[in-house]
Amino acid sequence: MEAIIRLNEIDYNYDTSQESVAVSSVSLDIYEGEFIAVLGHNGSGKSTLAKLMNALYIPTKGKVTVCGYDTSDDDSVFDIRQRCGMVFQNPDNQMVATIVEEDIAFGLENLGIEPLEIRKRVDSVLDAVRMGKFSDTSPNMLSGGQKQRIAIAGVLAMQPKIIVLDEPTAMLDPVGRVEVIETVKKMNEQLGITIVLITHFMEEAALADRIVVMDEGRIVNIGTPREVFSKVDELKSIGLDVPMATELAHEIRSLGFDLPKDIINDEELVEAVCRLL
Amino acid sequence: MSLVVKDLTHVYMPGTPYQHVALDNVSLTINDGEFAAIIGHTGSGKSTLVQHFNGLIKATSGSITVNGIDITQKDADMKQARRMVGLVFQYPEYQLFEETIYKDIAFGPRNLKLSEEEIDERVREACALVNLDFETMKEKSPFELSGGQKRRVAIAGVLAMRPDILILDEPTAGLDPRGRDEILALIEAWHKLGKTIIMVSHSMDDVAKYADHIIAFKSGRIAVEGSAQEVFMEPDKLIEIGLDVPKSVKLSHMFMEKGINTGLCYTAQQLKDSLKKILGGGMNAG
Repeated sequence: MEAIIRLNEIDYNYDTSQESVAVSSVSLDIYEGEFIAVLGHNGSGKSTLAKLMNALYIPTKGKVTVCGYDTSDDDSVFDIRQRCGMVFQNPDNQMVATIVEEDIAFGLENLGIEPLEIRKRVDSVLDAVRMGKFSDTSPNMLSGGQKQRIAIAGVLAMQPKIIVLDEPTAMLDPVGRVEVIETVKKMNEQLGITIVLITHFMEEAALADRIVVMDEGRIVNIGTPREVFSKVDELKSIGLDVPMATELAHEIRSLGFDLPKDIINDEELVEAVCRLL
Repeated sequence: MSLVVKDLTHVYMPGTPYQHVALDNVSLTINDGEFAAIIGHTGSGKSTLVQHFNGLIKATSGSITVNGIDITQKDADMKQARRMVGLVFQYPEYQLFEETIYKDIAFGPRNLKLSEEEIDERVREACALVNLDFETMKEKSPFELSGGQKRRVAIAGVLAMRPDILILDEPTAGLDPRGRDEILALIEAWHKLGKTIIMVSHSMDDVAKYADHIIAFKSGRIAVEGSAQEVFMEPDKLIEIGLDVPKSVKLSHMFMEKGINTGLCYTAQQLKDSLKKILGGGMNAG
């Protein structure tokens, strides 16, 4: 199968006069329809990685291809950004218009799409993120979770193949976080959109098909959530966490009890402990 | 040293179509030396409330008394009140602006027209409080630092004012797990030094672990108030107001439904200990 995003031996440094590299020797293939989570502490290179995926950054060394387009090719930038949309951390920085539907239409107008088609797409993406009744609301009247869903709708209206989300829930309250993550999951499962989710929340990462762990600009681990989270001590040593259920299972196992190593959610933990008694 | 809020109401844009009651007749008392946490979903009034505490926004009605000074009075000594109450905003690192870390932290004390000696002493003290090495940091630009370090410099600027009451609006937002643990450990340390802490937070886990007085807001009113034990006793009530319960509370509920009597645990540590105790017998038998 052809990868939808291919990073081939990527280096990226912000300041070429300096030795420090933000991303170093990174190779990664992401396939169509996958849900990838990227973990790493602040400064580990994960946001840089995200920006390399839609030609916001061009690698210093190596090659990034997105849907077959080379990101270093200036003529491909629009094709890439149309196929690979981004959602950032701060919802307020992503709103450009004074009412919701205009905000979503913004990208489409720039593409010169017919007004009737714009209307259709705006309505359909607002429905997809369950924000239909807010179409003529001012974005500043919305909650953080609602704003992020509008940001996702704006990206969705471009009919992308891939959405890259850089800590989209960092500024949200618990309900907002659930709203956004459910929306992301739905985009992936129902529309088949490839998702790259950068997050500090281990419970969010546990929902992905594969987790990529970054440290010091390199990929240090990659695998299913079960594989990645089973290495509790390794993750902790690079400043990361594991889901609470995994952590508790780890502790109980260290007392000499026989618990499976790959517990990643509450239900599995409770069931496993029940079996011990 | 206490903070007493009485019948506080705040209306945004009164008399316009956008009129919005952000705080509706709120009364609460935060005692000297408490670690209080304010929780509530976005728009519930938390940030509006704490911005009243050092006079950044004015009450529509009601009173706020800080160490005996009613700051809602027209002739209140706001300078004095602001010295007593330090407010650390969300993402405070965006407010760094000076060329060096020293100058940035010294900015507040300098505005108090203190002597250079006194300023120096306060900058050193503040650096120590946020765990930054004074000698290596003083001449650096704050913009060279990592996100977590920048945030600590910004907080040092507030600590240099030596407030009795420190308010932190979502101090861990956007930090990675290690950065979050570092900041929380520091806040806990300042609390132990005697500072009154008021922390606005979305993380129920952090609130349960650190706070001894939790106030949950819903639509500008206090919906639930009490200790972690009292507040998290009824998960449904919190979920109904758009909040969550700590992960350990959820897990202990699930265990108890299966007949494993962990008791209601508010922190991961409690749950760990409880499970160890329950399983301990099993291990001896085996």
